[in-house]
Amino acid sequence: MNNSMISAAASMGAMQQKLDILADNISNINTDGYKRKNAVFEDILTNIQPHEDSFLLEGRRSPLGFTQGWGARVVAQTLDMTQGPLKATGLETDVAIEGNALFEVRSGMTIDSERAFTRQGAFQLMPTENGNRILVTNSGYPVVASNGTTDTFVNVPEGYKLVIADDGTITATSPDNLDSQQLGSLKLVEVLKPELLQAVADNMYGVPIDVNAGDVVQTVTATPNRTDGVAIRQGSLEQSNVSLADEMADLVTVQRAYQLNARALTSADQMMQMATDLRG
Amino acid sequence: MLRGLYTAASGMIAQQRRHDTVTNNIANLNTPGYKGTSSVNRAFPEMLIAAMGGKDSSAEGTIGKLNTGVFAEENLLGLLQGDMMETDRSQDLALISDILVDGSTFDASGKYVDADGNVSYQPQAFFTVRTADGEVRYTRNGSFQTTADGTLVSSEGMAVLGTNGQPINVRGSWDNVTVGSDGTLYDRTTNEPLGQQLYLTKVANPNLLIREGNGLFRYEGQPNGIEQVQAGDRVSIQQGFLERSNVDSAQSAVDLMAALRAYSANQQIVKFYDQSLQKAVNEVGKV
Repeated sequence: MNNSMISAAASMGAMQQKLDILADNISNINTDGYKRKNAVFEDILTNIQPHEDSFLLEGRRSPLGFTQGWGARVVAQTLDMTQGPLKATGLETDVAIEGNALFEVRSGMTIDSERAFTRQGAFQLMPTENGNRILVTNSGYPVVASNGTTDTFVNVPEGYKLVIADDGTITATSPDNLDSQQLGSLKLVEVLKPELLQAVADNMYGVPIDVNAGDVVQTVTATPNRTDGVAIRQGSLEQSNVSLADEMADLVTVQRAYQLNARALTSADQMMQMATDLRG
Repeated sequence: MLRGLYTAASGMIAQQRRHDTVTNNIANLNTPGYKGTSSVNRAFPEMLIAAMGGKDSSAEGTIGKLNTGVFAEENLLGLLQGDMMETDRSQDLALISDILVDGSTFDASGKYVDADGNVSYQPQAFFTVRTADGEVRYTRNGSFQTTADGTLVSSEGMAVLGTNGQPINVRGSWDNVTVGSDGTLYDRTTNEPLGQQLYLTKVANPNLLIREGNGLFRYEGQPNGIEQVQAGDRVSIQQGFLERSNVDSAQSAVDLMAALRAYSANQQIVKFYDQSLQKAVNEVGKV
């Protein structure tokens, strides 16, 4: 029995997981709308080796029993939803959010497909069969707008210019500026509980099936005039909120902790070797 | 009889325990709110040894006292304040605790010895959580989460209790909530109190806490040894921060080496005894 070996090995696994998360963050440093993840550690269940009552000797400070911990593990992954810096691109299909909100998209080409949410506003206009163009994310998922009561997709007539106001209102203007069509406003949701959002592919988040979506996200209207409100910025992209300096600092801490654990493992191994050498 | 053989063996076991404890501390270098422990050794009871054939209880017959070994007696919690680490997450709460007791000046390890030699320890503050079985536990790990119904829970899913004995519940986004230094929840925009306050527990003698793992402590003392943190106590909550583990990695590395070398020394002694036995059995007894 060598508890040191177990504790060290278990914790090295946990550190490795943290390293994986850091690597994920660093590799997405240039992903628009990416939100950094963080790992939370906790110590593993402690057991108590019982002592008999006769062990209660004078000078003892703690209750009977010798506590033995078994290392650390990653218990949760948290999502850091802080605002990323905005980068001006000048493209009419690039949209960024300022404030706590996500764009709502659909996972399929019909409005009753599965809901998904994203912060990445690098949209595209995709031509459809009827000559219109539909607003989609750069992975092809249609963006949802709301015309007050119902959810719709954004259909921009061919040749029309897309104008999105700070409050999310979408207007399509003809090239000669004579005709303009109101296409509703971008549907935005406020994140109430980021820990319940599930990262799915293509920089999107979903709500797990067993959780009521209303508990996690709630529809919000853009209020660009309020200082803490949500505002839409057309012609900009929100960059990843990963800060390389922070990630590197974390990397150093984790790597050193890993190293120290590896040292403890080696040291435990040496102890086992010595015990075996007793009868050499 | 070679008594020392067993003494050295007990030394090996005690050093192994010490090594295990240090390893567990090192493993939790990055665990928020973790408090390092140190294993305390105690010698086996002393016994009096006397020369063979000597007279009982007389000065000429007695050789002296002898301890026949050592054991790891207890794993003491070191409740030093951990450093603050900024996370910018609204549900991350760090506890800063430096409780004063009249007439006591605590040293850096939180201990005070008065003129008569009585030792007392600095009381410590903790967040109060409730397990699924309804039992109360204490924690310093303020990395909290919210469940779908708005209950504030620890990473392990245990409800964080408020002063009204009920779990803290925030229906909306935690980004709209400010936590005051005394644990009162406020609306971020209006600064109006939300009618909820975190229940912070003050443990008068923290040595009576038993670590359960998952960042939790169980209290095993008299009920009057725990009470709610009062307004005048020097305890404050920092929102958007986590308390780092208080394990000192340099000290741990040294302790690890010390435990290993002490283990090695004991192992050598066992080998020497083995050689003595070898001589006794195979050479003295040779015909």
